[in-house]
Amino acid sequence: MIGLLLRVLGHEYAQPMRRTVALMVTTAIAEGLSYALLVPVLRALLGGTPEAAVPWLVAFGFAVAVYAALRYRSDLSGFRVGTTLLRGMYHRLGGQLARLPIGWYDASRIGELSVLASRGLLQAMSVLAHLLAPLVSAFVTPLTIVVVVLAFNWQLGLAALIAAPVVTAIHIWTGRSMAATDVEHAERDREASGRVIEYLQAQPVLRAGGRTTERFRLLDDSLREMQRTSRRGVLSMLPGALGLALTVQAMFTLLLFLGAYLALRGDIGAPEVLAILVLATRCADPLLSLSNIGGQLRGARNELVRLDEVLRTQPLPEPRQPIRPAGHDLEFDSVTFRHGDRTVIDDLSLSVPARQRLAVVGPSGAGKTTLLRLLARFYDVDAGAVRVGGADVRAIASEVLTAQIAVVFQDVYLFDGTIEDNVRLGRPDAPAAEVRAVATAAQLDEVIERLPLGWATNVGEGGTRLSGGERQRVSIARALLKNAPIVLLDEVTSALDPVNEAAVHEGVARLMAGRTVVMVAHRMRTVQRADRVVFVDGGRIVEDGSHDELLRRRGRYAEFWNISVTPAAGEQLTPVALPAAPSGSNRSSPAPSSGP
Amino acid sequence: MTATVQVGTRSAPAPDDAAAARRAMSRLLRPHLWRFALVIVLQVIGALAGLAPLLAVVELGRTLLSPGVVDHGHVRTVVVAGAVGLFVRLLFTAASSGVGHLLDGQVQLSFRRALAARLGRVPIGWFSGRRTGELAKVVGEDVSAVHPFIAHAPGELVSAFVVPLVSLVYLLTIDWRLTLITLIPVVLAVALIPALMTPNRLREQQEFDAAMGRIASSVVEFVQGISVVKAFGGADRAHRAFITAADDFVSIFTRWVRGVSAVAAGMQLALSPPFVLLVVLTGGTALITTGGMAPADLLPFLLLGLGLTAPVAALGHGFDDAQAARRALGRIRDVFEVPPLPEPAHPVAPRHHRVELRGVRFGYHDDHEVLRGIDLVLEPGTVTALVGPSGSGKSTLVQLLPRFFDPTHGAILLGGVDLREISSRELHRMVSFVFQDVRLLRASLADNIALAVPHADLDDVVRAAKLANIHHRILELPRGYDTVVGAEINLSGGETQRIAIARALLADPPVLVLDEATAFADPQTEQAVRRSLAIRAHDRTTLVIAHRLETVADADTVVMLENGTITERGRPGELLAQRGRFAEFWRSHRPATAGGSR
Repeated sequence: MIGLLLRVLGHEYAQPMRRTVALMVTTAIAEGLSYALLVPVLRALLGGTPEAAVPWLVAFGFAVAVYAALRYRSDLSGFRVGTTLLRGMYHRLGGQLARLPIGWYDASRIGELSVLASRGLLQAMSVLAHLLAPLVSAFVTPLTIVVVVLAFNWQLGLAALIAAPVVTAIHIWTGRSMAATDVEHAERDREASGRVIEYLQAQPVLRAGGRTTERFRLLDDSLREMQRTSRRGVLSMLPGALGLALTVQAMFTLLLFLGAYLALRGDIGAPEVLAILVLATRCADPLLSLSNIGGQLRGARNELVRLDEVLRTQPLPEPRQPIRPAGHDLEFDSVTFRHGDRTVIDDLSLSVPARQRLAVVGPSGAGKTTLLRLLARFYDVDAGAVRVGGADVRAIASEVLTAQIAVVFQDVYLFDGTIEDNVRLGRPDAPAAEVRAVATAAQLDEVIERLPLGWATNVGEGGTRLSGGERQRVSIARALLKNAPIVLLDEVTSALDPVNEAAVHEGVARLMAGRTVVMVAHRMRTVQRADRVVFVDGGRIVEDGSHDELLRRRGRYAEFWNISVTPAAGEQLTPVALPAAPSGSNRSSPAPSSGP
Repeated sequence: MTATVQVGTRSAPAPDDAAAARRAMSRLLRPHLWRFALVIVLQVIGALAGLAPLLAVVELGRTLLSPGVVDHGHVRTVVVAGAVGLFVRLLFTAASSGVGHLLDGQVQLSFRRALAARLGRVPIGWFSGRRTGELAKVVGEDVSAVHPFIAHAPGELVSAFVVPLVSLVYLLTIDWRLTLITLIPVVLAVALIPALMTPNRLREQQEFDAAMGRIASSVVEFVQGISVVKAFGGADRAHRAFITAADDFVSIFTRWVRGVSAVAAGMQLALSPPFVLLVVLTGGTALITTGGMAPADLLPFLLLGLGLTAPVAALGHGFDDAQAARRALGRIRDVFEVPPLPEPAHPVAPRHHRVELRGVRFGYHDDHEVLRGIDLVLEPGTVTALVGPSGSGKSTLVQLLPRFFDPTHGAILLGGVDLREISSRELHRMVSFVFQDVRLLRASLADNIALAVPHADLDDVVRAAKLANIHHRILELPRGYDTVVGAEINLSGGETQRIAIARALLADPPVLVLDEATAFADPQTEQAVRRSLAIRAHDRTTLVIAHRLETVADADTVVMLENGTITERGRPGELLAQRGRFAEFWRSHRPATAGGSR
C-alpha cells in the first residue's frame, strides 16, 4: 500500500512521507509505553498504598504530555504532507494527461478521468491525512502493549502475543478477498449506471413501446445484479470481520482465564493481573477498529491503482534525434493500424504530392478519419510508416509535426474562454490585424458583429453558447491563423444548415488555397473541390482517380453518389421540379480543376 | 441541515410536491421497518453482552482484592460469565451487521426501482435541462450514499449512545464524584465543537465544494478538447488551466484544513485513551488517598470510563458520511418531487391523424419565447418540410408533437383532440420521431429496432431494416440481428441514425416527426430518410426538419420558420417562384453550390 502510494507520488515525495510515517509510529509507541506506568500506579492504588501512586501518576502525566505533543505534531504533519502531496499529484496527473496520445482518450475515459481527478485524488490523499495514523496506531500500539505485558509477566505476555500473527493473517486475507469483491462491485455499478443513462436517453422510444409502465427489463436486471453483488460482498466481508473479532476476543478470554489462574496460584499479585487486564482492553479496541479502517483503505487503494494506471501509461515515444520534414508531401507506406482486434487500416499505401487536394470518400467505418489521425500522429501505426515531407512522423519532434498541420474537425471543441482566445489558439503571438483578417476570411466577423460582446464573447464550456456553424467558423479562423502548410479536414460541413454551410465553404476554400489538403468528405460539393479522390472501404483503397474519372468508371464511387440522389423506391408522387435543383446541376457540371 | 437549506433554495417546489416526495420515500421504507427494528435489537443485545467481560474483570478485582480466602468457585463463574458475554456479543453483532447489510441492499433496490419508475413518468422535456449523467448518479451513487444510514447507523448509534448510557448509569451507582470527573474529557471535547461550526468554517466548506467543481470542469475541458489541444499545440494552455484550478483547490483545501486541524487535533486529544485514563487515575488517586472510595471501585472507571467518550467521537467520525448521505437524500427527494406528466383523467382517443397547431407559443424560460404564435395544419397523407435558419425554433416545434413540452399558450390537436387529453401511451403510439440524438440500447440489433413494438416478429424487423438501408450492414456481422450494440459492435453515427429510422418505420406510426440529421449524412442514410418520407400509406402525417434541397423538393408543403414565427408556407416550387423569404434563404445557400462547381 505504502509502496503503491510512493510510486504514484513519485520519489521526490518519499522523504516527507517516510518522516510522517515515522512520526506516527513513534506516537503509537509512546502511547503504548505510557500505559506501562499504569501498572505501578494500579499496584499502589489497589495494593493498599495509595500514597505511593502519586510519583508514578506524575510520571504518567508527563508521558501523556509527551504523547500529546507527538500526536499533535504527527496529525499536523499528516495534514501538511497530505496537501503537499495533493498538489504534487495534480501536477503529475496534469503533466501526464498532456503527454498521453490522443488515441488513448475515448468517451468512457473522459467520465472516469473527471471523477478521478476530483473525488478520486482527494480520496487517495485522505489516506494519508485521516487513515494512516489510525492504521499505524491500531497495529503499533497493541504491539507495544504486548511488549509491556511481556516485561511484567511472560506467561500473560506470550498469551497476548499469540494473537499477533493471527490478526495480521486475517487482515491480509480479508484485504485480498475484498479487493476482488470491490472490483466486481465497481464493475456492476458501472454497468448499472450505463443502463440508467440509456434508460433515460431512450425514454421517448421506451414510452412509445409502453416499456416504462412495466419494469424495463434491461435496467431492472442490472439493478438486481447490483443488489446480488452487494450481498456477495457482505458474505465475503463477514468471515474476515468475524475472524478478527473472534481472535481479539479469544485473546482477551485467554488472558482473563490465565490471569485468574495465576492470581489464584499466587504467582502474581492481584493488582498486577488487574492492571494487565486493563492494558489488554487497550489492545482490543484498536485491533477491532482495523476491519473498519481496512474497508476505507481499500476504497482509497482502488483510486490509487487507477491513478497508477494512468500515470504508467506510456506516451507516444519522442524521437531521440528528430529530423525535420523536407517539403509538404504526405505518404502512407503499407500502413496497417488496428484498434483492439479490429483492423481499421489494412496495408494501405498512398502518396499525396505537395499542394495536392485529396478527398477521401467511403462508407461509415471505412477508416477515413483514422487516416487523418495517423497523419497528425494521434496514434502510431502497427505496421508500415506514415511520412510527412519524406520523414516518418515518429522521427519528427511532436511540436514540429504539430506546426506543420492544421486540422478542422467535424465537431468543433472550443475552450471556455472568449472567441478571440479560441481563434488565437492557432498562433498565440499573431498580430491583431492578422486575427481580424482571418476572421473575415472565415466569415466569422458577421458572427462577432451579431454578438453583444463581440470578440470578448465567452463561448461557454465546449463552445456550447455558439451554434454548430458558428463554432465551425471559429475553428476555420483558427486553422487559417495557424497558416500551416498541411490541412486536414474531417467532414467539416456535414453538420451545418445551408446558410452556415455556405459561409463555411467560403472559409474552407481560402484555407485550402496553396496547401496540401486531405479531406474526408460526405458531400459531393466538398469532393468537387479536390484534385483527386480515393474511395476507401474496409481500410483499403478501392478506387483512386479524379471525381469525373471515378464517376465514369461506374464503380463503387459512382454507386455511392447515385444512391443518395435517385428518388426513393416506391415513391408515389412526382418530385416537384425545382428550378436549378443543385443535385442535378452538380452532377452534370464537371469540376474543373482550379489548381495552379 | 445543509440539505434542507439546499432544497429550500432550489427553485421552490410546490409544498405538496415536497410532501408527496416525502410520502413516496417513507412508503419505500415502511415494508422494511420490522427488519430495521430487528437489526437494532440484535445490536443492543450484542453491545450490552459486550460489557460482560469488562464487568467480569471488575468482579474478579473485587473478589481478589477482598481480604480473606478467595472463593475459587466464584472466580470460575465470573470468568466463564465474561467469556460467554464475549461470545454472545460476537454472535449478535455479526447477525445484526449481516441483516443490516442485506436490508440495505433491498432498500437500495427499491429506491432505485422507484426512481426509475418516476423518471419513466416525468415529462420528457424535463430531461433536456439535465445531464443524464447526473441523473444516473442519483440512481446509482446517491442511493448508495444512503448505505451508512441503514447498514451502519444502528450499530454506531447503539455503541455510541446505548452502551455509554448504560455504563454511565452503572458508574453513577458506584461513585458519582468519579463519574463526573470521568466526564471531564467529554465536556472538553464538546466545548470545542462550536469552533468547527463557525461561519468561517462553513464558508470555507462552500468554497471547497466550489473549487472541487472547478477542478472537475477543467479536467473535462482538458480531456474533451484534447484533440484540439494537441493539434494546435495548446496543450500547455489547457494544462496551465488545469494546474491553476488544482493549485486553487489545494490552497482552499489547505486553508480549510488549517482552520479545522488544530481544533480537531484538540478534540482527538481530549478523547484519546491516555488522556482519559490520566483524568480518571488522578481523580481516583485523590478519592482513594482521602479514603473517599474503595480501591476496587476504581476498576470499573478504568474499564468503562473510556466508553463514555464514544458519543462525541462518533459525532466527529460519522459527521462527514452523514452530511454526504443527507445531501444525497436531498437529490433523491428532488427527483421524487418532479411532478409526473399529468395524465388526463378521462383520456380521449384521437379520431383521425390531422395535426393542428393553434396559436402555439412556447419558451424554455419566462423571459424568452422561442415560438411566437404558430398556426399550422399538417394534413394526413402529406409531408410538411420545416425550413429556416438555426435558432428559428424548428427543433422546439417538432418536440412539442410528442409532448416533450406542453405549449405555454395555444394548443396542439391530434385528430381533433388536445394532446393533453390523450393518454401518453396512446400519444407515443401515434407519434413516432427520429431526432438527431439517437440512443441505442446495449441490446441486440433486433431488439433495438423493435423497441417501440416489443412483440414484432423478425420478418417485420428485417423489412424495416431493409427500408432503412441497414439490413446489409447487419447481415455482414457474424451474429447478424443478434449482435449486441455497444458490446460487440459500435455503429457509426449514420448507421445509428438508420437504426432509428428502421425503428420508426417498424412502429408504422400515423404521425411521423423527423429531423433530417445532417451530422451523420452519408448517402445511405440520406436514402433511408427519403424512403421513410416516401411511404405515405395509411394517410401518414409527416413533419420533417429539412436541410437538403432534395428533401424539400419531395415535400408537399414547405413551412419557413424564422425567429419563432412562420414567414412563408406553400408548395416548394411556388415558393421559389414567389421570390420571397424562402427563395432568398435558398439563394443564400446556392453561392456555395456555385462555388463548388466554379
